[in-house]
Amino acid sequence: MRKLTAKIHSFESFATLDGPGTRFAIFFQGCPYRCAYCHNPDTQVFAGGTEYTVDEIVAKAVRFKPYFRHGGGVTLSGGEPLAQAEFIAALEAKLKEHDISCAIDTSGAMPLGSIVRAALDGCDMLILDIKMPDEDRYRKYIGGGLDTVLATLDYAIARGKRIWLRTVIVPDINDSETAIDEYIDLLGDRLKSVEKYELLAFHTLGFDKYVKAGIANPLENTAALDKDALSRLQSYLDTAIKDIIA
Amino acid sequence: MDAWRGFIEGNWNDTIDVRDFINRNYTPYEGDASFLRGATERTKQVYAEVEELLKQEREKGVLDIDVDNVASILSFAPGYVDKGKDIIVGLQTDKPLKRAVNPFAGIRNASQACEAYGYKMSDRVWEQFKFRTTHNDGVFHVYSKEMRAARHAGVITGLPDAYARGRIIGDYRRIALYGMDRLIASKQRDREELQSKTMTEENIRSIEELYKQLDFMDRLKKMAAQYGYDISRPAENAVEAVQWLYFGYLGAIKEQNGAANSIGRISTFLDIYFERDIREGVIDEERAQEIIDDFIIKLRLVRHLRTPDYNDIFAGDPTWVTMSESGIAEDGRHMVTRNAFRVLNTLYNLGSSAEPNITVLWSEKLPESYKKFCAKVSIDTDSIQYENDDLMRPLYGDDYAIACCVSAMKVGKQMQYFGARCNLAKVLLMALNGGRDEISGEQVGPLGDTFDEGVLDYDKVMTAFKKYCSWMAGLYVNTMNIIHYMHDKYAYERLMMSLHDTAVERLMAFGVSGFSVLADSLSAIKHAKVKAVKDERGIISDFVTEGDFPKYGNDDDRVDDIAKWIVEYFYSELSKHETYRGAVTTLSILTITSNVMYGRKTGSTPDGRKKGEPFAPGANPMHGRDVSGALASLNSVAKLRYSCCRDGISNTFSVTPEVLGKCEDDRVSRLVDMLDGYFMQDAHHLNVNVLNRQKLVDAMNDPNLYPNLTIRVSGYAVNFNKLSKQQQQEVINRTFHASI
Repeated sequence: MRKLTAKIHSFESFATLDGPGTRFAIFFQGCPYRCAYCHNPDTQVFAGGTEYTVDEIVAKAVRFKPYFRHGGGVTLSGGEPLAQAEFIAALEAKLKEHDISCAIDTSGAMPLGSIVRAALDGCDMLILDIKMPDEDRYRKYIGGGLDTVLATLDYAIARGKRIWLRTVIVPDINDSETAIDEYIDLLGDRLKSVEKYELLAFHTLGFDKYVKAGIANPLENTAALDKDALSRLQSYLDTAIKDIIA
Repeated sequence: MDAWRGFIEGNWNDTIDVRDFINRNYTPYEGDASFLRGATERTKQVYAEVEELLKQEREKGVLDIDVDNVASILSFAPGYVDKGKDIIVGLQTDKPLKRAVNPFAGIRNASQACEAYGYKMSDRVWEQFKFRTTHNDGVFHVYSKEMRAARHAGVITGLPDAYARGRIIGDYRRIALYGMDRLIASKQRDREELQSKTMTEENIRSIEELYKQLDFMDRLKKMAAQYGYDISRPAENAVEAVQWLYFGYLGAIKEQNGAANSIGRISTFLDIYFERDIREGVIDEERAQEIIDDFIIKLRLVRHLRTPDYNDIFAGDPTWVTMSESGIAEDGRHMVTRNAFRVLNTLYNLGSSAEPNITVLWSEKLPESYKKFCAKVSIDTDSIQYENDDLMRPLYGDDYAIACCVSAMKVGKQMQYFGARCNLAKVLLMALNGGRDEISGEQVGPLGDTFDEGVLDYDKVMTAFKKYCSWMAGLYVNTMNIIHYMHDKYAYERLMMSLHDTAVERLMAFGVSGFSVLADSLSAIKHAKVKAVKDERGIISDFVTEGDFPKYGNDDDRVDDIAKWIVEYFYSELSKHETYRGAVTTLSILTITSNVMYGRKTGSTPDGRKKGEPFAPGANPMHGRDVSGALASLNSVAKLRYSCCRDGISNTFSVTPEVLGKCEDDRVSRLVDMLDGYFMQDAHHLNVNVLNRQKLVDAMNDPNLYPNLTIRVSGYAVNFNKLSKQQQQEVINRTFHASI
């Protein structure tokens, strides 16, 4: 039998922002999207990365289990982790044996085939990017459509998963209260099943990665979003959804 | 008034047993920090005066030196910060921050220290020591050529042969609980008992030591009387308990200028007095905090006069007034009290500070509210350190304290013969060079074969390394035996030892430096191709490494197993040798700041480190080589076995606030996760810094930007501005765990 492997871009043993508690983050190599604001363009191509087996990754994760006591665990991120869903399903099963909880941090780019559904079934939590508030902007800035994103969210809701949503705020693209309203309208009742909706600031710290990877940077003239603008929009969002979210 | 009113009786009533008193009488506190009070107006005024003096001291190096009087318990008139306002009184000399000359360990050192700051030691002091043998004289009368050569080459360095050894903790609590008269009577009985025994050399020495102890116990009473206090009786309330205890400590540091004179485990003990006073309605929380604040102010003023050489190994003018707190009692109750919070709260009331060296004895079982407060204090002040109580308690019980950085000892029952460290990275280079010093070219170790140029064979290197390690261990133990024989003879800690049981257990603490450089060097030889390169003297002084190799600090067993082996092997070699007075052999991986100096004295190493470059401190992975994230780095260090490193495994860790989390709550919780996860794996010690590298760079370029910037360096904290440029640069080069 063929040994199941995944292409991994990198690991972070002390991830504190990608889910609750202290987390071991695994960044999968390869993503079908080409977000204009991607801060890890080196994870986009499927060629590359280092191959790991399930057991190799579990062996790493187990080493960090002592730090997971306050709600922590493993976060599968990327790239797009669900692009390697068969591996993820197997990995989740093994992590469960070790009593390690698992979050999938996805952009919802993958169609919900049976394998992707199995991967979603196996996780304890979904962290989903809602990148743009409408189909047009998804096509323009992301390189994909809204349908798979909402289907992923609906599936996780139906399965009763813990859900966090995230949106990157980019100057001149979605940094307005109007845009926030559009996100809220788009999500509608789904927000009732969401535990947390977090806005992230577009930053320029990943710019040198474009240069290194020889990829054109579509937003090279865009400045980082300033902190105050972000916290203003976050509190606008929090106020708007405080009576709705879970 | 009955000093013991309201206390639960026990064995402590019949015999000197402070531990029993604490365990029967302390009140565990489960709540959070919300009961704490800020600084009172009085505290603010007094500390403003202190800060002005500290500022002057920073500008001048030392504020003042008394060059006429030799340091001792009764050499100086009473001193005050502000006589009308001090709550806890007593200073080392007659004025705050004025330093005393202490020539008992070595008169030349004392004189050089004066000169370094533009002072001249008086003729009177020279006269007094003209016919006196100092500790330093004694050691050099006996040192062999080989010992001198090893010392000169920097393969064993920093030994307390020209300065006082320190690392002894008097049980200052005994004075508060029993009063001096009871303690004196007890020592007199011990003396009579020894006098009835056969007069062996050991017995005669012990009796003479008891004579010295009793002499100084009497002087301590006189010192307290100069301040208007009668400490012959027990303390009757909280202020007196703090004052009595502090007098004991003050007497000790007037007499002794050892590198680290730690104050012990006192907060739970003192809390019993605070609780009683609060119960009796004598004090309220504001007053309780004010007393602790004033006490801590005194401890922040502790100073010793040091030479520039000394600053190389212990940078930043540290005094290691290490104050241990919390932990778990043997009956399973946690030992956190309100006082543990009050002590931490001084870092807010008085601002962050390197001293006292607040050490939290961490256990998984400490209350969550206390863990979180500790984490918050770390994030806000970078001033405290953590040591694993769950690891130490089985060996030392529940009444041990930390001396210096990481050295555990049972308070009043164990003392330590401090032994600095030997440079194992240099031992490897000597093994490759047949015992020659790769820098001077001199033959320092036993003559052996020099390795050929070309690719180094791992097995052959290991055989040679073991041989030289074994030689080093023997020489090191012998050197230590001489040092401590002479220290006991010529610079005996009379007062500190009077506050120990007469039948004291002795620990002899050896140390290693260059630990991670050695682990990575052996890993490079094993897993990559390392070619030795000889210079014109025929000495291997450089290496060319082809291929990659696993590096310590990435949770990779291929190299971490080598790291574990190093300490286990060296400890077993040390243990083969007889120690002075039957001391128990212990080992530490702790460099203080001498990692810079040791690096300077060590040639290029097979791991790619170039000649003269600093080592990593303590058991830290080498700067920038722990690239698998913060927790992987911690996991590597956690693998080292405490059972063969009972004197401590020091790890200094820096993380940026951003990587800990977005808001304070998250940061606090993540730091608690980190401490719990690290210590649950039987790790020993962690210094935590939460800051950005840029802040240190800015402070280096403009010291006035952050005059009080405190950072943990290696088992202690320093004011960053007091480090030399090279030491600052080394701190800046350390790994800061950050992410984007």
